[in-house]
Amino acid sequence: MALCCTAVSCTIDKADYEAEAGNSETDRYEFEEATTLHTQGYNISIEVPNGEFRKGYNEIRVKIEDSKGKNANASTVTSLPIMSRYADGSNLSCPHQYHLTHNDDGYFEGYAVFTEESEKGDWQIYIGFTVNGVSYQTNGSITVNEQTNKNLNMTSFTGNDGEAYTIALIAPRKPEVAENDIVAGIYKRNHPTGEPETFPDSSHFSYSRVNGYTLQLDPRMPEPSMGNHSSPNNRDLTQQSDSLYHGVVNYTMTGNWTLNFILLDQSGKIVKGTKVPSDFTPGVEGVKSELFIDILF
Amino acid sequence: MKFIIAIAIFGTMAANAQTVPAEKDSVQTLEEVEVVGTAKKKIETDLKMGVTVDEYLSSSTDISFIKRGSFAWEPLLHNMSSERASVTIDGMHIFGACTDKMDPVTSYVESNNLSGIAIKSGQTGSLHGATIAGNIDLNRKNTPFGLEKKWGASYQSGFEFNNNQWFNLGNISYSGKRLAADASVSYRKAGNYSDGNNDEVKHSQFSKFNTSLGMAYKTGERSSVRADAIFDVAKNVGFPALPMDLWLSRAIITSVSYRQLFEGKLAKNWETKLYFNAIEHYMDDTTRPENLVHMDMPGWSTTYGLLSKTSLQQGRFTSEIQLNAYENLSIAEMHMYPQDRSKKTMFAYSWPEVTTRFAGVSANGSWEISEKSRLNFGGAVALHYNRSKYAEFNRIFHPEAAAEKTRFLPNLHLGYLLETGDFQFSIGSGYGHRAPSVSEGYGYYIYNSFDRYDYIGNPNLKNEISYEINAGAGFKNNKASIEAKVNYFYIKNYIVGKILNAGSPMNYQSVGVKGYTSLPHATLFNLSLNASYQVLSNLHWEAALTYARGRDANDGNLPFIRPLSYQTTLHFKVDQFGLQTSFNGDATQRDYSPFYGEDQTPAYAIWNVSADYTFAMGDCVTVVQVGAENLFDQYYSTYADWGNIPRMGRNIFTSLKFNF
Ligand SMILES: [Cu+2]
Repeated sequence: MALCCTAVSCTIDKADYEAEAGNSETDRYEFEEATTLHTQGYNISIEVPNGEFRKGYNEIRVKIEDSKGKNANASTVTSLPIMSRYADGSNLSCPHQYHLTHNDDGYFEGYAVFTEESEKGDWQIYIGFTVNGVSYQTNGSITVNEQTNKNLNMTSFTGNDGEAYTIALIAPRKPEVAENDIVAGIYKRNHPTGEPETFPDSSHFSYSRVNGYTLQLDPRMPEPSMGNHSSPNNRDLTQQSDSLYHGVVNYTMTGNWTLNFILLDQSGKIVKGTKVPSDFTPGVEGVKSELFIDILF
Repeated sequence: MKFIIAIAIFGTMAANAQTVPAEKDSVQTLEEVEVVGTAKKKIETDLKMGVTVDEYLSSSTDISFIKRGSFAWEPLLHNMSSERASVTIDGMHIFGACTDKMDPVTSYVESNNLSGIAIKSGQTGSLHGATIAGNIDLNRKNTPFGLEKKWGASYQSGFEFNNNQWFNLGNISYSGKRLAADASVSYRKAGNYSDGNNDEVKHSQFSKFNTSLGMAYKTGERSSVRADAIFDVAKNVGFPALPMDLWLSRAIITSVSYRQLFEGKLAKNWETKLYFNAIEHYMDDTTRPENLVHMDMPGWSTTYGLLSKTSLQQGRFTSEIQLNAYENLSIAEMHMYPQDRSKKTMFAYSWPEVTTRFAGVSANGSWEISEKSRLNFGGAVALHYNRSKYAEFNRIFHPEAAAEKTRFLPNLHLGYLLETGDFQFSIGSGYGHRAPSVSEGYGYYIYNSFDRYDYIGNPNLKNEISYEINAGAGFKNNKASIEAKVNYFYIKNYIVGKILNAGSPMNYQSVGVKGYTSLPHATLFNLSLNASYQVLSNLHWEAALTYARGRDANDGNLPFIRPLSYQTTLHFKVDQFGLQTSFNGDATQRDYSPFYGEDQTPAYAIWNVSADYTFAMGDCVTVVQVGAENLFDQYYSTYADWGNIPRMGRNIFTSLKFNF
């Protein structure tokens, strides 16, 4: 019987589902060193997933060692990314965690949501730390590459309240034709107080996580032939204890999807976003919300 | 080529299996049993000798068809769709590989590799596995050992003018002392047919190649082994009622069996069969440039099985006990291509690699109470297991669904038969469960072009449970016969598609999403009347009438219930010359169901005639036949023509048959 089975092979091969879901490209997620800075005998190693800064949300780990390669027991480690635009020389930053968190493995952890690629300007990362009561400052150039995983796309916009917001997708990195837990970070630029002191003045490049908002979600396939196809059982994103926004998105098939959002503030007022039509319109490209992120898997 | 390899493997397996010693003093030999067992039933209708399996089946009053074109009609047994009936080939389970039901099991055989078709109604058909509507068992040709005539052959060819169908059917059989063999080859090719208005029905062409080989070897006086294989290829088949056609469908259906007879014991015989069949099915929409999106929808279905049965006899009791076990893997994929082909294709499984395992024991018994009366009874217990490899697809609509599900399926039936003089009466009842089909349980966005909804399976569906009663009364003497049969099914948890308020269609033609759900119950009533009368010694008349009514729990009509239908035939035979005429039709579809997407189908009546001439040339008996179906070129479509596609207009057919 088994022999018989091998004798009958198929005319057309069955799909490789893993490949259809694009899993091979985005499978790897390991911290690797992206750059090292040196100052007064200290080596500062900056690690990000897969060793490359990319547009969008980046987890960052900083390790500070002395000249002998030993953990320098640093404290109050800060990180500040700043880009100077080629176009007009203006300086801008992006949502980031300024005071990094010390973890048990001797790393200082944080994140940065790069809103531009290095193509547009020169990104510098400013690291500050204290060892034995002495403060040190250093900076170095970094390269921010294009985000190849479209499931980690981001968007920046000005809300109806005049504030500057950024929404960055954090998960799922590897979506499936399934119910996916979706995680996003929502950030807002803080208004500087007073005149800037010496460059870089972190208070002039400061962002904070937005608290208590709701991100309403309506995922749809924009492809005209899909006729504004959507999926059932999605759940809006709300803030959880990790201060990130969690919800549920269902993808009914692989391909291009648009996550249509409406961002509501604590009082339920629309900060940004429009309701999209829900009718099935074959042959017509799906209308997008004024606030959306495109993904692909 | 691959097929030939498979045959060779079976050949060697069969050759290695001769172990059982022969008993010399036996009176009951294999020959005697098999000659008695092979009732010569021809696969041809009264009107037409070159019929397809579908045309042959449609001559039964128990069967109606959903037609999506001129090929591969979906048989409905007692007005119930194919999920509710089991269709087997010599007891072997086979499952189509098409999510759109383009390939019922009956599409993988050909009239010249079958000896007959056994239809068992309701729970009496549970011997081959759980069922609600019954069982249709397609019996392969099976030449017995030691016939006087060692070699037999036949060749049939024909042409049908409406769709330029050309068919060639060839058969050869051998009956030796120790070896018996049957082989068949057939090829049919047809173009588009024209309806009664002489308009061509586009995408109604088909071509089908089928070949089969069966070899039996006598390993002892009362034992034999047998290997069988069918290979079937359908290519370039149009489905005018569907938005897609079929590029290629290929099936290989194989089995090896061992048979042992016993003398003077309780057990009369024992037969065990191992089987394997694989189907691949590739649809094609490149023939439909009007489609908004190009899709590839391949499907595969592979089944392994075991069947073991024995017949017992003790005094007035006879009984059959059968063990059925099989495992099926059904996979169907959906690849959608964006208009900008450089973009990534969109992919989903319509059957997310669904495994079905079934194991059950069934028994049928008969107790001859007296010369005149008999009690028939039987039952089955079975375990049914499903596993969805990519259960995450199913969880999109049913977040709590488990990847695996095991069901217990009991079936029971009891019937009483009384024969007094020329009269016969029967009464019976049944109780049985069935598990949801792969599509009903695990289907994902399967587009149904009839009601234009995308269908979503529900892994949590309850078993469908049937309570059934039936009765029959008949009269028969040497001139006339009349028989009436009724049955009534009360089906709990009746599975239908219900509009979901979640999600949106995936297929651009569809208007919404339906999920399979269970109605609290549905009822079905079937009535059939058959009569025949020998008017003169050479003039014979037959007639049949059917009526059915199906209702859901809200007293709404069920879909695909045949309206009042009738057929009547006259045969006239003088010497070698035969003349037949038949008239058949349906009344207006009174109880149609707009709720399930039906509209009312008007009445129609069709007139057919044929004439044949039989003559002998040496050892060769030759029959020529000429006839016309739908003689008056009536434009019509039946209640079960998918999308109201019109049926064939006038069709003149010719056929020539040689029997050696
Ligand atoms: Cu198909």
